[in-house]
Amino acid sequence: MSQVLHPIEKTIIKLLKTTPNLTEEQIVEKTNLSIDQTRRGIEWLRLKNLATVSESEKSFVKLGTNGLRAKQDGLPERKLVNLIESQPMSFSDLQKKLGNEINVAIANAKKNNWINIEKAEPSNIVSLNQKPEQTREEKMISYIGDNGKVAADQIKDTATLESIKKRPDYIIVETTKSRTVLLSEQAKTIDVEKEDIGAIDVEAEVPRVYAARTHPLKDTIDEIREVFVSLGFSEVMGNYTQPSFWNFDALFTPQDHPAREMQDTFYIKDKLAEKFASADQIKKVSAAHKKGWKYDWSVDAAKKMVLRTHTTCVTIKYLADHKPQEDRVFSLGRVFRNEKVSYKHLVEFNQVEGIVVGKNVSLRDLMGIQTEFYKKMGLYKIKFWPTFFPYTEPSLQTMVYNERLGKWVELFGMGIFRPEVTRPFGITRPVLAWGGGIERIAMLKYGLDDVREFYNNNLSWLRNVTKCQ
Amino acid sequence: MPVVTLYLNRLEKLVGKSSKSKILDALPFLGLDIEEETKEYVKVEYSPNRPDYATDVGIAAGLQGLFGTKKGLEKIIIKKSDRLALIKTDSSVKKIRPFVCGIIAKNGKLDDEAIKQLIALQEDLHFGVGRRRKKASVGIHDLDALSLPLVYTVKSKDHKFVPLTMTASMSVAEILEKTDVGHDYGKLIQGQKVPMIIDSKNNTISFPPIINSAMTTVSTKTTNLLVEVTGTDKNSTEDALAVVATTLQGLGFTLYDLKTDSKSSSLIFKTRPMPLDPNLVNQTLGLDLTSATICNYLRKCRLDASPRGKKIMCNIPRFRFDIFGPMDLVEEVALGYGIQNLTPTLPLSASVGQKNAITKKMDQLGQIMVGLGFTEALNTSLTSKRTLYDETKRNSSKLIEVAESKSLEYTILRDSLLPELLENLSRNVHESYPQNIFEIGTVFFGDSPINESVSLACISADKDASFTKIKATLQSLLKTGSDIECKTKTSTNPIFEQGKTADVIVNDKKIGVIGQIDSKVIENFKIRVPVSGFEIALSDFF
Repeated sequence: MSQVLHPIEKTIIKLLKTTPNLTEEQIVEKTNLSIDQTRRGIEWLRLKNLATVSESEKSFVKLGTNGLRAKQDGLPERKLVNLIESQPMSFSDLQKKLGNEINVAIANAKKNNWINIEKAEPSNIVSLNQKPEQTREEKMISYIGDNGKVAADQIKDTATLESIKKRPDYIIVETTKSRTVLLSEQAKTIDVEKEDIGAIDVEAEVPRVYAARTHPLKDTIDEIREVFVSLGFSEVMGNYTQPSFWNFDALFTPQDHPAREMQDTFYIKDKLAEKFASADQIKKVSAAHKKGWKYDWSVDAAKKMVLRTHTTCVTIKYLADHKPQEDRVFSLGRVFRNEKVSYKHLVEFNQVEGIVVGKNVSLRDLMGIQTEFYKKMGLYKIKFWPTFFPYTEPSLQTMVYNERLGKWVELFGMGIFRPEVTRPFGITRPVLAWGGGIERIAMLKYGLDDVREFYNNNLSWLRNVTKCQ
Repeated sequence: MPVVTLYLNRLEKLVGKSSKSKILDALPFLGLDIEEETKEYVKVEYSPNRPDYATDVGIAAGLQGLFGTKKGLEKIIIKKSDRLALIKTDSSVKKIRPFVCGIIAKNGKLDDEAIKQLIALQEDLHFGVGRRRKKASVGIHDLDALSLPLVYTVKSKDHKFVPLTMTASMSVAEILEKTDVGHDYGKLIQGQKVPMIIDSKNNTISFPPIINSAMTTVSTKTTNLLVEVTGTDKNSTEDALAVVATTLQGLGFTLYDLKTDSKSSSLIFKTRPMPLDPNLVNQTLGLDLTSATICNYLRKCRLDASPRGKKIMCNIPRFRFDIFGPMDLVEEVALGYGIQNLTPTLPLSASVGQKNAITKKMDQLGQIMVGLGFTEALNTSLTSKRTLYDETKRNSSKLIEVAESKSLEYTILRDSLLPELLENLSRNVHESYPQNIFEIGTVFFGDSPINESVSLACISADKDASFTKIKATLQSLLKTGSDIECKTKTSTNPIFEQGKTADVIVNDKKIGVIGQIDSKVIENFKIRVPVSGFEIALSDFF
């Protein structure tokens, strides 16, 4: 197998083939590599099983402050014998010259059998006994001093070293950890000169880059939009802020109904709609409320601006303004609920709603369009249950079986607009309507359990979630 | 949506001739969503327009219909009472809460579960048909604890009695001030005089619509009941009474007349005739059913129906006030037929679908931003004053606020996309840089009465983010997207660094702003690298 090697790796291999088992520092010394380059290169080789690294501890000795002074001026006992070389001196005179080194000097000189001490008054007399030869200690101090730093294991005369160590601050022992690099058998066979020059390590790890992308929820929204278009629906749009008239009154929701109260609707402070519907539309909606709910409908309540609670306000306005005989339209976008935010509730989420107007369209058709929609979204196991919506009759909801959760999940709602809703706007043909929250579908798609994730814009999620689902 | 707990043993006994599994399978087809299921009970969500489903007797009646063991409507039978069974209305109450009606129910038994369900039923009626007790409120009393006849009259605020769940007597003023119900519903009775129901021994029975008296508390020992409903709308009080009476009869009570003034309560429970065209049924459901079959399905939904000529004549019990017109009967037929038996059909489309032009343009511009290396973010239209104005040092004098938001984080409609994008960066400081994000979204301005427009904003955060780089991005976006050349004209803007910001000008018109984000703003968002960005209004390109 041919290995692609970096120039650093080549330099190290080349060196170790001729001089095996070097430490990192030694490699630095013998090449033009910096310590960082060397370490990096060794790490690469290690990962490729071309080298092993054995860590070991190594002790060095060097002279301490007193040791250095002794090397320059001599040991105290040497100073002593130098003073008495020509003639004996009294103890008190020697003390004046040697200071507090006197005791050490006398003790060692005596041990070496260099001096005689004669009892006398007022002070003992010290005289030379024999010619003082250079001692082992002196030799070692001068050896260590000349080399600056000596590996402890190079000193054979350990007894002498130990005796010098007993003198305070003569010897400093330093322990360093060293990493010795050994080439593997495979590496030893590599001829670095023959390696392909300019090749790169195609097997190495590279830094991660992230593709810029559209938001995953947006992708789901687009997918749903495409499905609607493919089923023959055209998109209509409307504002997020709506007069209560289109959000509630036009859908036959009575003005004193608890659903209109603050609790789940966002009313916009100090904002009233000015011109929001034709005089005829207002008149007829008012009449429908009076007849159906038996109360006095107020135009002022209808003017209050709200953040739309559903996209139905857009579809009903489209129907009221265009009075189509045959049509398929959908509206898609944000809707708002004044609720506490939790893992399953948001104050602002996306909803889609489709409507079909036609002469003979039926509830079974509505179920058929639903089935087709879910099929295109990749959802095949569905069933329908009856339910209640204030502005449709009959009303159904779809249940979709989710394999991951192992249970039926409620998805879109559907129904046929009540005559009380359509009649005031002169719509005589049946209007099939269906829709629901998009985040719920996107959660199933991306396997999320917390709906808030869609709006956290957490980059690690946005960058890593699989796009093609 | 309200929820009721159904104990399966009880329900099985009530339904009769059935099994638990059959009942569980059928519940969704009555329109009841199973929320929770254990061996002993299921919790089901029912629609607020069917308060009779607050109790298991109501649900049992529905199931018997679906199973075909009992069909047609359950007739309400009212027995005659003696002349003392009466609620007299004093004219003084007419101006405050004018309507009252009631019923007497005897020889029944209530266990804890039945009492719990009756209370839930009462609350549903208060909320829905009662419009939070304004139009109607219901009081259920132990008949044996009171003395007939009753008087519905007014009392002043120093009137005292022992209210339900209390042991000491309280004045009306105290009840309004010190109790939860007093707080919640006190606003329904303005003025110095309040409605009160008093018995013949001058004991207080009820202080509608706030609270009953403790004297007539219903317990599991109670066998005879008196129900009174008061309100501001006659129809609503009678609707509410009909639901309670039907439920009590279902629980095994015998109903007796309780006159209000001279009117017998049996008049309230008259059924309502409603004709139905079989063609409407067949067209709406996409079926081809005979009149006789349709009648059978209606009877399975516990209504009366019989063919009359080409039409069908239905009789609807009083408590089914959710039935407005023939279309509601069509739904009943669908339920009787069984939704599971309806096979879907796919109608051919006569139209070719298309996306909205604005949506298309937004998508296209988004694609260009992705091509320029920006990842899409999505933020909410509602945000906080802190993010939108305070931390970005922007002028908040024209803010658009929503009323009574449940969260401080969602109170203001955004007039710019940049602040939330900065907020996004501040949550991602531990992620690798460069961080380039954009958003296309709606912004709101406070005129006529609210003007909405679509903006595109992007920001780039990196150690070498600069004005030059972001201007290059802007130029490329406009050139690639719409073949537009833009100019940047020196300006000032609090969100941007002084001397490093400009207005974006296209055809002599300002369409947006661009610049290096101000260092104090960056600090406010705890971002540690330079950030530059722009925001432009897209409405001009659509």
